[in-house]
Amino acid sequence: MITINNKEKLEWHEGMTVQDLVDRMGYVVSIITVSVNGQLVQKEDYATSEIPDNAEVNVFHLAHGG
Amino acid sequence: MATKTKAGPTKYEISINGKVATVVEDTYLLKAVMDAGFNVPTLCNHKDLTPEGTCRLCLCEVEINGKKKLVTACNYPVRGEIKVNTNTEKIKKHRKNLAEMYLGRWPNVEAIQNIAKLCGATDKEKYKSDITDENPKACILCGHCIRACSSFVLQNILGFAGRGITRHLTMPFGETDPHCIECTSCGYVCPTGAIQVTDDMNNPADPELIRRHGMKINAMMATLDDVQNRMRQVGTANLVEVMDSYDLLPVHNYRFGRHKDTHKIDSKVMKSRYFTQGAADGCWEGCSMACAKAVDGFELKTGPYKGQKVVVDGPEYETAAGGSNMGGFDLDFIVEYNFYCDTYGVDTISFATTMAFVMECFEAGIITEEQTGGKKLNFGAMEDALECLHEMARGEGFGVDVGQGIRRLKEKWADELGADPGFLNDIGMEVKGLEFSEYVTKESPAQQAGYALAIKGPQHDEALLIFFDAINNQIPTYEDKAEALYYFPLFRTWFGLLGLCKLIWNDVVPPDNSKYPPNEATKIPERVEDFQKFYEGMLGEPLDEKKMLRQSERVFNLQRLISYYLGYGTRADDMPPLRAIGPATEEEYISREERYDKQMKEEIGIDPEGKSTGEKLAITREFRYKRYNELIDAVYKKRGWDNNGVPTVDHLKELGINIPEVLSLLDKP
Repeated sequence: MITINNKEKLEWHEGMTVQDLVDRMGYVVSIITVSVNGQLVQKEDYATSEIPDNAEVNVFHLAHGG
Repeated sequence: MATKTKAGPTKYEISINGKVATVVEDTYLLKAVMDAGFNVPTLCNHKDLTPEGTCRLCLCEVEINGKKKLVTACNYPVRGEIKVNTNTEKIKKHRKNLAEMYLGRWPNVEAIQNIAKLCGATDKEKYKSDITDENPKACILCGHCIRACSSFVLQNILGFAGRGITRHLTMPFGETDPHCIECTSCGYVCPTGAIQVTDDMNNPADPELIRRHGMKINAMMATLDDVQNRMRQVGTANLVEVMDSYDLLPVHNYRFGRHKDTHKIDSKVMKSRYFTQGAADGCWEGCSMACAKAVDGFELKTGPYKGQKVVVDGPEYETAAGGSNMGGFDLDFIVEYNFYCDTYGVDTISFATTMAFVMECFEAGIITEEQTGGKKLNFGAMEDALECLHEMARGEGFGVDVGQGIRRLKEKWADELGADPGFLNDIGMEVKGLEFSEYVTKESPAQQAGYALAIKGPQHDEALLIFFDAINNQIPTYEDKAEALYYFPLFRTWFGLLGLCKLIWNDVVPPDNSKYPPNEATKIPERVEDFQKFYEGMLGEPLDEKKMLRQSERVFNLQRLISYYLGYGTRADDMPPLRAIGPATEEEYISREERYDKQMKEEIGIDPEGKSTGEKLAITREFRYKRYNELIDAVYKKRGWDNNGVPTVDHLKELGINIPEVLSLLDKP
């Protein structure tokens, strides 16, 4: 199980990557920064960065109004 | 070896001077070379400008499938497994020759002398000629200024004229271009000092300070906006698809947060089929963000200008989302109602939110074709909605009623048609008589309060916390939310005091912003500091957060005082309708039943099992209003207001508002 933003819990699976998480949750990539257990993950590494079980993931969106 | 996954960029393993490096596809070779720890001399390259390959110093040898060639590394995109050599004998000889030529032409320019040293060139006489320029601040034709004028502030005023030895920098026709707004971007990027900035303005205390921070933002805008919010490309319209992704796009009078037809009105469609120009929107020509967009040659289908082709300023996010709120998933409709609202002087948000309310009332049978003058005002009735707008402008028909806004319509229909005032209050999205702007706030208590506590009514200018709160969970406790509801309205309205656009504050986020803890990161500290420096550069007075907020707080409290005096400034006026804080109808509850049932179990502590939808609605309503009231208790306290939301005399005096006539506004009967 992983925790997102201290709130949402998600089933973990072996080999789960940040990209898997983004696809599963429908996040909009251009407005997010992702860190896994406190480590920032660059966008170009989403597909290859694995999330360990019990990880704390922060997905922060920065969106303005309009 | 290339690694390609089904999502994510392709990467290549390349060799640079024998060292293996992994490079994302389309990275320019110069960056890859420097990341690998090798230096390559450059003259026309600038970290904030798109490369042009003009100076030819960065040539590197690239070998693909056994074939070698020389390429300018600065603008060569890596697209395969290549073998790179940055410093062959041929390249060294070539660089030295180039550097000697540059030295011959501009022997005293420091940037040229540095290049010459790097390339082993010392002979100033070899290429000396009639066109040798001894000036240490000579223009070296690097083109930085031209590219900065174009990519920082989108003005394209500078250019080269002449060929060969007559090539020189100029403005059109060799005259000073009146469109030049003296942003000094050209001076900022000039490596030699050939472009001198002479300050001839309204006597800022420290123009260099303003320039330093302003140029940094301009450069970030040019390099980061395209991969962040894309304001330059599509304005605020990029939010349409973002909000839909997160179930926050208002649909059918805020009942739902997404719709299968949103793709018909998103920024991709706007960009490909509608937007034809960026247009300064009453804001500064030469802004490096330049987000305002317009549609040229749009043929109107209705109203007094039917058949004419017009320029339409927009649509912005709010207008587009007003469209989805009315069920109008058609950009022709959205652009047309945008145009006519502008032409008639009607706010698009008020129109759209009022229309959405009218449509729900029509579908609920509260009003019929008898009231609407024969119009079938179901959600998505775009033609009839436009007719309401035209009637409103003409001052006749049902449109006149629509023009009264939601507050008056609720009273009218309860009075004259016997409609249930409770239901109308639950679904009528207005506070203090102003219609809500276009965000679905049901899952964000902070945004509910951000809207309903706003001085003039539910506009998101004071606080846009919906992402921090509901999606990022960056302000989880009441204290966190109350702090955000204290800080952000004051911070955001500070821009209004100074006549500055606040979008620059959070459009491009510095790449290292995430180093701050979550509730600090929401403020974008580096950008706040930039604006404090603008202030200091202008007025000669340093500014910190406390002082900044205090400037705003005085005005904010004065406004609240006036609002109180006018009858809009107490707790009762800060109450949102049920639709803003939770499901108001059974249909809404059922549409998100799993979520609401889960919350009932986990947050309210009541088991939803065996309860009817009506019962669950009532439980949710009670809980959410209780939660809302507890939140605004904390906010009022933080703001120095009493429990009824009125600024206390002590707090006003502490802010320096102690003129007796002003304080007497508190004494209204």
